[in-house]
Amino acid sequence: MLLADNRKAARRLLEKRILFFGGKGGVGKTTCAAAVALAASREGRRVLLVSTDPAHSTSDIFERQFTREEREILPNLFGLEIDADFEASRYIAEVKEQVSKMFSPSMVGAASRQIDLAAAMPGVGDVALFDRLTTIISARNSAYDLVIFDTAPTGHTVRLLQMPEMLRAWIDALAAQRRRAVERDADSRGDDGGEDQPDPIVSALERRRQRLDEVRARLVEHRDTSFVLVLIPERLPIEETSRAAGTLAEAGIEIGAIVVNRVLPDGLSGEFYAARRRQEDIYRREIDHRFKTMDRIVIAQLESDVYGLNRLERISAQIIG
Amino acid sequence: MRWSELRRNVGDALHGLFYFRYEQDLRAEAIELNDLFLLMCYMEMVGLPNPVTLYLLEVYPHLLSEFHLWHRRMGVDHSPLAQIRCC
Repeated sequence: MLLADNRKAARRLLEKRILFFGGKGGVGKTTCAAAVALAASREGRRVLLVSTDPAHSTSDIFERQFTREEREILPNLFGLEIDADFEASRYIAEVKEQVSKMFSPSMVGAASRQIDLAAAMPGVGDVALFDRLTTIISARNSAYDLVIFDTAPTGHTVRLLQMPEMLRAWIDALAAQRRRAVERDADSRGDDGGEDQPDPIVSALERRRQRLDEVRARLVEHRDTSFVLVLIPERLPIEETSRAAGTLAEAGIEIGAIVVNRVLPDGLSGEFYAARRRQEDIYRREIDHRFKTMDRIVIAQLESDVYGLNRLERISAQIIG
Repeated sequence: MRWSELRRNVGDALHGLFYFRYEQDLRAEAIELNDLFLLMCYMEMVGLPNPVTLYLLEVYPHLLSEFHLWHRRMGVDHSPLAQIRCC
């Protein structure tokens, strides 16, 4: 294994401010994200490791409790497991408070019912999750040197990253429609525009859009942000990773590295090993071929599964040295 | 009445008539545009998913009065939707 290559690729990753780890379910996204987070924190950088997967496993791998609020797990290493339901209810509480400041009590009562109903709609959790992500990403003067996102399996994450684009299109369409209606209404009353109050709905939608644009600017074609795709040398993960790489490229999101996880270690013997190894070599050549333009980090399997600091350190050592 | 005065009055009347029709058309168009906007906001109630529902929560109180005007315009005295109780 070429440790030097790993190290070079890992160095480039550690120059970033925001890293996303994604890949097919079960390939070791959390392990790799945790190992890189641990390594960076040991170098004295303030690191935040965020799990966005609804089925969190960061707590299990560190054998320390992550919570839905940020907290220090190890020196310089902070952890957060985003709870979509909790974020949705927090967001809704904030909206209600704002509304109660701006409107009459009777209006507030009616609006509250409406808000509770809307909050129960499917998909609200995803948007709330994305909203929390937005807050973390767009925080100016962030308290962290590096934020690492351990994401849910590929499909969910790609959708999450396409969200600013999609939401923006919707908000633009809504704002444009509203603006047309308001302008026409002003025309019909003979107002020539100018001195009247800006429409509160258009203003609210525009504030939203600005925030989405900020996130988009940090995600897309930004030298501080990178996506790391994790896979294992098997047919299905290779195919899924290829597709994900295509989608990310289309969305303009940089792929910082491909992590080839759980390869067979060198220097073993036996027929079973030799057969597996032959099979693996084919897939590894395939990976080298398909992702030849990208940095690759290769991680060998340990003799046991990875949880707890000791084993995590051994993975870290393979990546960073 | 002098000829010039008459001419001015007729001119004003035509002007008023024209602008009355014009403003009426504009108002109708404004209402139609806003109804479409309302529909876009409340799409989920007619079974079409709307991904920005959560972000629209902030503007719901504003929409509430719009919705009230809409159902009055449609000739329904009280809100036809159990979910939206504007009056």
